[in-house]
Amino acid sequence: MVSIRLDKVTKRFGKVVAVNNVSLEIEDGKLYVLLGPSGGGKTTTLYLIAGIYKPTSGRIYFNEKDVTDLTPAERNVGLVFQNYALYPHMKVYDNIAFPLRLRKEPKSKIDSKVHEVAKFLRIENLLDRYPHQLSGGQQQRVALARALVKEPSVLLLDEPLSNLDALLRVYIRAELKRMQQDLGITSVYVTHDQSEALAIADKIVVINKGIIQQEGTPEQIYENPRNVFVATFIGNPPMNIVKGTVLEDGTIETTGSRLTPPPAVLEKIKRLKLKNILMAFRPENAVVSEHPMEGRFSPMGDLFEVEPLGRDAVVTVTVGEFVIKVVMPTREAMQLRIGSKVHVNIDPSTIKYFDPNTELNLEYIEA
Amino acid sequence: MMPETTDVETINRRRMNLALGIVVLIASIPILVTYFILMASSFANQMITGSMVGQLTFTLKNWILFFEGKLTVASAAVYSTWDILRYIFNTFIVAFGVMLVTTALATMAGYACSRMKFKGRKFLIQLLILLHAFPGVSLIIAVYALYIFSKGPIPSQWWTLYAFIYVIVARAALEIPMDIWIMKGFFDKVPWEVEWSALIDGASRIKVWKDIILPLVKPGIAAVAIFSFIAGWGALIYVLVFLPPTEKTLATYIAGLLAGGSLEVVHLPVVAAAGTLYLLPTLIFFSFVRRYMLQTSLSGIKG
Repeated sequence: MVSIRLDKVTKRFGKVVAVNNVSLEIEDGKLYVLLGPSGGGKTTTLYLIAGIYKPTSGRIYFNEKDVTDLTPAERNVGLVFQNYALYPHMKVYDNIAFPLRLRKEPKSKIDSKVHEVAKFLRIENLLDRYPHQLSGGQQQRVALARALVKEPSVLLLDEPLSNLDALLRVYIRAELKRMQQDLGITSVYVTHDQSEALAIADKIVVINKGIIQQEGTPEQIYENPRNVFVATFIGNPPMNIVKGTVLEDGTIETTGSRLTPPPAVLEKIKRLKLKNILMAFRPENAVVSEHPMEGRFSPMGDLFEVEPLGRDAVVTVTVGEFVIKVVMPTREAMQLRIGSKVHVNIDPSTIKYFDPNTELNLEYIEA
Repeated sequence: MMPETTDVETINRRRMNLALGIVVLIASIPILVTYFILMASSFANQMITGSMVGQLTFTLKNWILFFEGKLTVASAAVYSTWDILRYIFNTFIVAFGVMLVTTALATMAGYACSRMKFKGRKFLIQLLILLHAFPGVSLIIAVYALYIFSKGPIPSQWWTLYAFIYVIVARAALEIPMDIWIMKGFFDKVPWEVEWSALIDGASRIKVWKDIILPLVKPGIAAVAIFSFIAGWGALIYVLVFLPPTEKTLATYIAGLLAGGSLEVVHLPVVAAAGTLYLLPTLIFFSFVRRYMLQTSLSGIKG
């Protein structure tokens, strides 16, 4: 049972700062997802935990034991690479047995362990095949088996699903989550796919530009993003952002409509002396209609496009300079006429307010 | 009836292959014909030329003459059978020597150029191509001077051995730059992740290189082995310059037959037999390593 702690870890490659002063605590037995755009530093962070990269500064601890200067093998981590990195010249059995053979374990023990993990991942019938004879999903399982067979203290997964086709991805995602829970193994999972992260994570760590943007449960990340980056990265489509002007009377005006923010927000606006404010809301927290609705904040715009996605449709409305996407039932959406004037009726209680200068969510600013 | 339609993007494979085959065949005719004449002549009573096809008979006489060390039917033996066998053996020594030295060094240096960070790496890699472009002959004076200097402290009874080692190393040195380049290309294709994977599994750097990386670059090693074997097998000038006059290889033996007016004296089918023998190992060796050259197995690694 292992918890991981990164203490002010920085990694530079020449002039590029890939990971910038990151401190992070990963709880024992939990599945943490490092989420962010490519080049954001999430894979580098994973490799730092694995020991493939050595931090430029900062320390890494496993259970309060400093492992910063230990090799990957000494840290006893299992790592599944995006490209699986199977040994192409070895049969599946030998691929899985490789780490055990290096530990010079007795043959009978190796054999039983390989069969055990193969059975667990349902690849027993593939043991005497070569990697190139397997499908992508099977190769992925072999890579996972090879990582798990040495009973690692930490399981690290680098975009393990990104080479699978979309349908398979959804299945294996659920299996991975189940497997991780059954084994209770501390896991770190890197992905750029926010829906994958929301689906499997115990905790999500959003990383961009080498800095942790937000850390929290999927609900916290989704419901209450800490800054504009997280708000516009998570969700499909992500949050809509509308810029507003704070008026003398404490209301916010945007594209001809007015909104009275909750007292707590207003107080913070006053304390921070904000003239402008960014408002963000989720596409599913608004409805597009021909007439404004009671109890809603309803700026007016032009209906640009309706994309039916089965039960729901994505409705795109241009409101002044802003492009707003709303998710609503297809049946209602199809009643609307493209190009007509419509109202975007936003549930005011779901609106999040951001400081336009720091792009921070006002709720996260200590008042 | 509608004519059969084909996809615009798809080239008709069969017709394409047929066309390619015909082009390759036509282009190879001069080479194939010359090799055929050479090999057939070694089993004929006289050199095969167009006008005498009717008078040809099959004979093993040329091969017997060759191994007896005779150059013409009538004359006495110029070389002994023992000499001929020794020349063949010498050729193998030089060829395998060059092959081993080149393959070993190019494999290790190629790995370093592909994987390791060191100062001047980029410059060195560019220099390799330049080095390859230098003709070996232009270096011969310097290489010879070095030979004379380095031979000094060595007792004279070891000079023949030293000459062999020197030829092998000098000839290998000419091959190595290009082969490092080839090996670097093969190492470059092996993803880092495979190496990391093995390191995480607990293997040492050496073990990773030996058990994981080398098997993946087998085709490269095979290619380099072939090229350097052929280079050593056909080495002429360096062998001529450094080996004592009593030691020949097949290349210098044949060259000797053709040089200095002896061409008019020798029975040409005997030279054809020598030439055929000179060709054989390359063909055999090639057919051995060919299957490694074609075996590119980097699957199981997606990316």
